[in-house]
Amino acid sequence: MTPVRIPHKSNLDQKKEKSITFFWNNKKLKANKGDNISAALLANKYKIIGRSFKYHRARGVTSAGVEEAGALVTIGKGAYTEPNARASTTEVTEGIYVYSQNAWPSVRFDIGTVLNLFSGFFAAGFYYKTFMGMPPFEWGRGTAIWMFFEKFIRKAAGLGRSSRLADPDTYEHLHTHTDILIIGSGPAGIQAAITAAEAGQDVLLVEQDFAIGGNYLNLSDKSEFKEQISKLKNNNITILKRTTAFGLYDDATVGLVEIVSTDKRKNMPQKPRQRFHICRAAKVILATGALERNYAFVNNDLPGIMTVNSARAYLNRYQVRVGSNIVISTNNDSAYETAIDLADAGSHVTVLDSRERIGDPLLCQISGRKINLYLGSAVGKAKNGPFCPSIKKIEMAELTGEGWRHSGSLSCDYLLISAGWSPVIHLASHQGCPTKWNEESACFISNGDNKSIFLVGAAAGIWQNEDCIISAKEVVSNIVTKKQKKLSIFGGWNTPISPLYEIQLSVLKGKAFVDQQHDVTSSDVRLAHQEGFVSVEHLKRYTTLGMATDQGKMGNIVGIALMADALNCSISEVGVTRFRPPYTSVSLGALAGRHKGSHFKPVRRTPFNNWSLDNNGVMIDAGLWHRPWYYPKQYENLHDAYVREATITRRSLGICDVSSLGKIMIQGPDSTTFLNRIYTNPFAKLPVGKARYGIMLRDDGMVFDDGTTWRLAENSYLMTTTTNHAAAVMATLEELLQVRWQDLRVHVTSVTDQWGGCAIAGPNSRNLLSDIVDNPSEISNDTLPFMGVKKVLLQNIACFVARISFSGERAYELYIPSDYSHAMMEFIWNKAQKYESCLYGLEALGTMRIEKGHVTSAEIDGRITIEDIGLGKLASGNKDFVGSALRNREALVKTDRPQLVGIFPKDKNKTFKAGALLNESGQEDGHPLGWITAVTFSPALGHWIALGFFEGGLMNATGKQIKLSDPLRSNFLDVEIVPPQMYDPEGSRLHG
Amino acid sequence: MIQINCPFCGKRDHNEFSYGGDGQIDYPSLDAVADIWHDAVFLRENVYGRQIETWQHLYGCRSWLLVERDTRTHEIFSVKLAHTDWQKLMEKNK
Repeated sequence: MTPVRIPHKSNLDQKKEKSITFFWNNKKLKANKGDNISAALLANKYKIIGRSFKYHRARGVTSAGVEEAGALVTIGKGAYTEPNARASTTEVTEGIYVYSQNAWPSVRFDIGTVLNLFSGFFAAGFYYKTFMGMPPFEWGRGTAIWMFFEKFIRKAAGLGRSSRLADPDTYEHLHTHTDILIIGSGPAGIQAAITAAEAGQDVLLVEQDFAIGGNYLNLSDKSEFKEQISKLKNNNITILKRTTAFGLYDDATVGLVEIVSTDKRKNMPQKPRQRFHICRAAKVILATGALERNYAFVNNDLPGIMTVNSARAYLNRYQVRVGSNIVISTNNDSAYETAIDLADAGSHVTVLDSRERIGDPLLCQISGRKINLYLGSAVGKAKNGPFCPSIKKIEMAELTGEGWRHSGSLSCDYLLISAGWSPVIHLASHQGCPTKWNEESACFISNGDNKSIFLVGAAAGIWQNEDCIISAKEVVSNIVTKKQKKLSIFGGWNTPISPLYEIQLSVLKGKAFVDQQHDVTSSDVRLAHQEGFVSVEHLKRYTTLGMATDQGKMGNIVGIALMADALNCSISEVGVTRFRPPYTSVSLGALAGRHKGSHFKPVRRTPFNNWSLDNNGVMIDAGLWHRPWYYPKQYENLHDAYVREATITRRSLGICDVSSLGKIMIQGPDSTTFLNRIYTNPFAKLPVGKARYGIMLRDDGMVFDDGTTWRLAENSYLMTTTTNHAAAVMATLEELLQVRWQDLRVHVTSVTDQWGGCAIAGPNSRNLLSDIVDNPSEISNDTLPFMGVKKVLLQNIACFVARISFSGERAYELYIPSDYSHAMMEFIWNKAQKYESCLYGLEALGTMRIEKGHVTSAEIDGRITIEDIGLGKLASGNKDFVGSALRNREALVKTDRPQLVGIFPKDKNKTFKAGALLNESGQEDGHPLGWITAVTFSPALGHWIALGFFEGGLMNATGKQIKLSDPLRSNFLDVEIVPPQMYDPEGSRLHG
Repeated sequence: MIQINCPFCGKRDHNEFSYGGDGQIDYPSLDAVADIWHDAVFLRENVYGRQIETWQHLYGCRSWLLVERDTRTHEIFSVKLAHTDWQKLMEKNK
């Protein structure tokens, strides 16, 4: 017989279930609204849902919750594909596509099953051993066999395949705040919510399932549930369904992922698929329940085997009776309620209880029903039928004075297992709350931290429904009254549980699984022990026990118990690995939220941004900034455009947006002292109205940043920094003033966004400037000499102009208040039409600075000294400054350190790229003597040139044959090392 | 996610702050010899327990702070402005 849908017997649910359709491997099937996929498939008589990870064994539904190890499916098609979804927790929605995984051509007949025959090779440590070489042929001699088999093994291993397409859905981030967060809406969670809300607390109740109720949903009698639900609704409690608390972090911060229901998203494409809540709660109550365990016996993974309580869930929640001839193998009291419900639903039920004695109340309950009871018995092996991979028969074992003994067989169509319950203490473990092995209940228990993390109900190891409710009441009233009243409930069983982790009989052969999802068997655990991997951490890594998507929710305890047995010690001595977030898998999309595509990082636009776009500017990302890259004329590509821009600028006039440079106002009576300490060169005697180029070092003596600083008044300076380091320089200046030099009366203010900066460069720059300033006499060669700074009026707007040059031409930097920048640029560009002129972008800027040997962050990469870039003369010997003590360390003053040089190709037609290495000819394989940092075509010189570093600099290169090698791009050529100032080394164009 | 109680701005998520480093280093004067600077820049205690560290409230008031934190539990015991005069002013005006 196979599973059947049974009619409602509860008179509270009289309404007929709405029928919906869905697709299983593209076959159209019917389901009831409110089904999970497992229930829908069982009701349609599908017992085999997937194939296992390593051995491709047939697997079916093993649970009704997050601990599912067998029924993993792929949901959706194309870009909407979601692999490895648990059929047991995914609700069936109208038209949903569900596919089996890891099987070809089908789940019933899977070619991969042949791997079963080679299972001896795939035992624990298989990967490690093949990496080391396959014994005995190549032991310790490398991995040829691995290389050979790798592609086949990789193809066969793994579960579902994700889509390669971009995720079309959107995700949201929310910040949620509450007094009390309650995780889990079973009997304890609901009661905790009611008690807390009645005491006036702000309560958030989250439930990972698509229905509220937890274990209430699995009961046949729902009257108490109805009562509690109405109390819940009357108390103004925020409830989030389909919401998993996946991680508990510091300060009671909880990561929640809420799946937005398909119904709510119908015809509303703007709705997110999931919401990621960062929830901050004053108190977190874990009412997370407990998971029922399996134990290791031969073929315990056959389709047709599930945990006892999940069969109850399918019966009472989904109206699916899994079988008509059911065997239950248990070691505790909880299984009997299910046995009774199934017997009442018409199944023939046989209970094997590993305990030799059970309580009288239990005996009374089952008497008079169609239930056979074998005490001191358990399942030793499950067997499938001929031509059928699912269960047909079991071999029984009975307890004797000498241990377990084979005691006969029984036929069945479903086998239910209950080998104890493991409280869900994962979230408490995330925060490092101590966990203790409880011998009496045979499980790990955590008490939270007694400050902000509390556990109630089954999560605290309390098994009876009414006790769970009392525990929730008591814990919550202690929280709200801030008292430490003693709790009256301690949990435990009425009739003691008898530990059961494995039944192994020599007459019953086959695989007994510990971790079904990762195909880890009991013999793998023994092998790990035999080979010395006995610590629980080693056991995990060596066997991959607990490393599948379920993170060992079912198998970990069994694995630890088997190791304890092998070591002849107790489970608490073996210990448990600390759980880490996430509790269940979280989609990366939810974590990314809206931070994707162009929203991945914030964008900074200069005040000239729109003006540049209007004038055909092509933008490039420079850190967070969008900067103009080049301004192509018709049909021009990047190369043509920047060559033209650099050429016109050197010949006549070019204008460039330099607003992204960092700009920091430094004010106060001790400003000069401050600057004198942070720059290597002297600033004490810089006159008002002058700018000076300066270099800053870090404490360790390496170059930090460079830029010009303008003295605007006696105690007022404007510092410019590189675009890249602007934020870091600002933070460092603040640190120096607030932490180290608290006596300095200096104020620093970032004004980067307050000014639009443009460079006006080229022989005609002064002519243009004369045309645009209100008083041209202010900017003559005498009134504004090289490095001069002053305030000028343009159209009656106060701007700053500084005569500084990065291009090597006569040039000015003009700083315009941001609000006027766009209009002013319009005005300036109109005036510039009188001359041969161009707009130039970052690429031409780079070309001209490389020609001049000026450094940027491509060279100042944090590993170079001021001497390395040839600016040692800027390091004053007459004063102390940041980095002055450590810059003279032995290794930093060696003459063979790489130094800044220029590079020409010998054959002037040749080109090359940054990143290429420099070596002496004939020694290209050796350690390189240098490298290329920046390359450009030089319009001024008519060939490709570069900046780079070379050991010992120009001196060391003289007389040597230098070879440039770029093996990745197969480019090798002879080059010449030249001084870094490759164009106009005297600077005559600058000063005129 | 820890929260830091900024003396100016109140309790904020730590992602508004940037971590500085060891808050107990007595930086030598600029004219100190290389050996002393070497120790100040490179030698760090790897504290298992309470330590004082500097943080900057980067996306807030931009104050540099001295935070006493337990490296094992992330529990924060005190937050002060690194600038002693400012800290005194804050305490006076409380």
